[in-house]
Amino acid sequence: MSKQLKDLVLELFTENDLEQYGLAVSEADGLLRLAGTVPTWELVVRAGQLAGSLPGVRSVVNEIGATSVEPAPYKAPPGDPSVIGTADIVIIGAGVVGTAIARELARYKLDIVLVEKDSDVGCGASRANNGMVHSGIVQEPNSLRSKLNVRGNAMFEELCRELDVPFKRCGLIGLVFKEEELILLDLVKARAEADGIPVEVISRERALAMEPALSPETKGAFLAPSTAMTSPYKLTIAYAENAVTNGVRLFLNTEVTAMEEKDGRVCKVITSRGSFNTRFLINAAGIYADRIAAMTGEPEFTLHPRKGELLIFDREKTNDHAAMATGLLAIGLDPHTKGGGTMFTMDGNPEWGPTAQETADREDTAVTAAGINRIIEKFNPLLPGYDPNQSLINFFAGIRAATYTEDFHIAPSSRLKGLINVAGIQSPGLVAAPAIAAMVLDLLRQEGLNMDEKEQYEPRRFAPARFKELPVDEQNSLIRSNPAYGHIICRCEQVTEAEITAALHRPVPALTLDAVKRRTRAGMGRCQGSFCLPRVLLIMSRELGIPLAQLTKSGLGSPLFSRQTKEAPPYAKEDWFHAR
Amino acid sequence: MPGEIVVIGGGPAGLAAAAAASDAGCRQVLLIERDRELGGILNQCVHDGFGNLIFGGSMTGPEYAHRFIREVRQRPAIAVLTGTMVLSLARDRRLTYVNRDGVREIQPGAVILAMGCRERSRFQAFIPGYRPAGVYTAGTAQRLINMEGVMPGENAVILGSGDVGLIMARRLTLEGANVLGVFEIAPRPGGLTRNVVQCLDDFQIPLFLEHTVTFIHGKKRLTGVSVAPLDRAGKPDLTRERFIACDTLILSVGLIPENELSRQAGLILDPVSRGPVVDQEMSCSVPGIYAGGNVVHVHDLVDYVSHTARLAGRGAQRFLEGRTPAGRVIMQAGENVSYIIPQSITLPVSETVDLYLRVREARRSVHLKITHQGNVLKQKIERIVRPPEMIHLALEPALLTGLSDGHTVSITVSGGEPA
Repeated sequence: MSKQLKDLVLELFTENDLEQYGLAVSEADGLLRLAGTVPTWELVVRAGQLAGSLPGVRSVVNEIGATSVEPAPYKAPPGDPSVIGTADIVIIGAGVVGTAIARELARYKLDIVLVEKDSDVGCGASRANNGMVHSGIVQEPNSLRSKLNVRGNAMFEELCRELDVPFKRCGLIGLVFKEEELILLDLVKARAEADGIPVEVISRERALAMEPALSPETKGAFLAPSTAMTSPYKLTIAYAENAVTNGVRLFLNTEVTAMEEKDGRVCKVITSRGSFNTRFLINAAGIYADRIAAMTGEPEFTLHPRKGELLIFDREKTNDHAAMATGLLAIGLDPHTKGGGTMFTMDGNPEWGPTAQETADREDTAVTAAGINRIIEKFNPLLPGYDPNQSLINFFAGIRAATYTEDFHIAPSSRLKGLINVAGIQSPGLVAAPAIAAMVLDLLRQEGLNMDEKEQYEPRRFAPARFKELPVDEQNSLIRSNPAYGHIICRCEQVTEAEITAALHRPVPALTLDAVKRRTRAGMGRCQGSFCLPRVLLIMSRELGIPLAQLTKSGLGSPLFSRQTKEAPPYAKEDWFHAR
Repeated sequence: MPGEIVVIGGGPAGLAAAAAASDAGCRQVLLIERDRELGGILNQCVHDGFGNLIFGGSMTGPEYAHRFIREVRQRPAIAVLTGTMVLSLARDRRLTYVNRDGVREIQPGAVILAMGCRERSRFQAFIPGYRPAGVYTAGTAQRLINMEGVMPGENAVILGSGDVGLIMARRLTLEGANVLGVFEIAPRPGGLTRNVVQCLDDFQIPLFLEHTVTFIHGKKRLTGVSVAPLDRAGKPDLTRERFIACDTLILSVGLIPENELSRQAGLILDPVSRGPVVDQEMSCSVPGIYAGGNVVHVHDLVDYVSHTARLAGRGAQRFLEGRTPAGRVIMQAGENVSYIIPQSITLPVSETVDLYLRVREARRSVHLKITHQGNVLKQKIERIVRPPEMIHLALEPALLTGLSDGHTVSITVSGGEPA
């Protein structure tokens, strides 16, 4: 163990511990590898982070186990080695990063395959984040996260215009509540300016004038005008739709189980539904990217899941709420996230969070009572006039795929030529996505992928019609063209039958109840689907030709019903209007 | 149309209101229903127990609805629009609705709100955990089983002992599922006693009072719930938390009046009943807007829903004919009274005023008193009062002759012992 590392490790463990836990450290070429068994998951993470903070450490493979955590060895489903196709490039993972790369690559004369283990695109962190297009003010200077954040932020508005995705540059207000913290505002400004990010220190009065609901306890504030909001899952869906329109082949419910090499270069990727011969492989597998990377035979980094819980509130009573994105200064509060904040989703719902909680389980998307309380205790003081207990309508949690160096890991595999790892994409992964895609394209060029532009590439994608947001004359012309636009299915969000039907037949069709919900908002209002759920399912059954009893909430393993008890009602197959 | 009354909602309240408005002399009643058929929630209530008060016999929900649908169909003044949704309602009664023919704006002479209520969700009840398939509100589960012919699951836990939750315990059992227990956060069941007996006791389904669900397990489909008894402070006692394996969680954690349009129209809402405040003719705080049934407050029996909706129908027609109020008396909820409907009485009073109230806590042998400035207007002894069961009182016009504008009448339910 290097002297430097040992000194650090001894802050955490005694010499005795080291022996007792069987802690072992090896280092080669900037890659630190840790092994042993410690009592708690917290110690596993802290050991990994200590290792990751050492100068010169490029990446950390943390194989320390925790006795408190039941080992859940990764079980890949059986792979199907029969070759079902050939591709110039296969992208693993249809989150915002994988779909962004697919869409950018689709400009070129390439045969592109995008595989996703889930039943829809954007089912991991891409759907479960707060949708904030960060300015980059809190990122470690010179980190990849910082550079790609700033670059991505500059690209975002145009991107959202091309893809017809909601975007609002509402800015961010950071607050301090103590006189002695006022100095922090200047520090934020100085640091941001060094990175080329606009930040303005504003007076308490100006902050309160901009946001009358802010706590009068506010002592001062900064304004980061480049911060914006988007809908993270709509962006992912738009990226995927545009990619598919431009020829990318998307395979859902398809899990990568192995890869094969020839002369040190990837030649084949095996999935649960068949194999592709390919010479280039992009690993954008989110929280599972370390396991994909390790399919080369050698792990290159380890991801540690960090959960973020978010609360969503009803659109009513928002007068007591700040009208634009606001966030609390995080310095000294929470080391691993900007500390979250209060904001509005693009659909106008107040949204608070996220938390930052290390967890051993990569799919621990449970919201805990403690998490809910933490969020309310942390953010209610910002907006003391708002009563979160009266307005809560949903909560969810996402998993950040953090490396132990806490930076993005975007690099060709050191083990296998043709494989590029795009990993550790935690916050600000959403805003960075377009910049990550550009960087990956550069890497592919360097790796020898031939990229000739297509004659026909359609950069624009158009969002489906949203009845509720249209003026009356346009609503009426929609209804004239298709009377199902006159049939409201979700009353809370005023979603029509035609919109649900459309979502089932888009370039990336919705196949599950949750997929319909993300595309149309049916079920996202204050009743949370208690009215529209049976009606949405009847439309899905009719359009997809799947019996009601076989529909799922979120794909394999999530059946909505146990059995059919009676014959389907006669109207199930008919157009509802003509039924009577 | 100035002579027109628009009724929003074709469930039990809307049907009764439309018929009553027609009977009161309105020549043009438009009944708007969002679903493909009239009847509202009654269509999925295949159990019996409806109509004891109005028809003197117990019938199923669809049978009860059918009586009123027939009344509506028999009245030529009533036009019905199904598959039609009201999108907005303004203070001046301008409303827009949409159906397959397009979006239309109209401004009727009076509007009757009869949108009913909605169910509170798992999130509003702050139940933490995952978001798997297999978690349904009781009313949704009822529709799925009774109308769409699919079973939500085979091993169910029910949270909340409101009437819909109790009825679903029985319904799931009859359809072949195992109901592992009904958990109720309060010290007493939330539903009618008859439902506790007929839906739980008769099927030996255990009821756990002062318990709640503390966690929802399962990443894709529900695998179980954690439940815990409450401690003395009324918080879940996590040291006594236990896991119940199940594939279905049915939530009956409260109903809230449907308020979207009420808010848009700028109606004053009662923070306790959570619906618009009304007078004895079911007039809301904005002239020409009336409300009946569960949109005003959640009733225990559908018979009362129909009754208050009839009042609204008659009231709306009286408004069209020109009602001249001579003042307003405020009804004040006193000791052990949670809320009173109506919240005020408009003078002059020519007919008996029906008062509905709910108590805060269950008690035996209580003294119910209606007073004005210390003078007892009416009093009675109630053997037992319970929050789920509404108390109905009739105030004859003669009792109210001494009252004038700005006066307050208070109602108290005092004495007795905890039930």
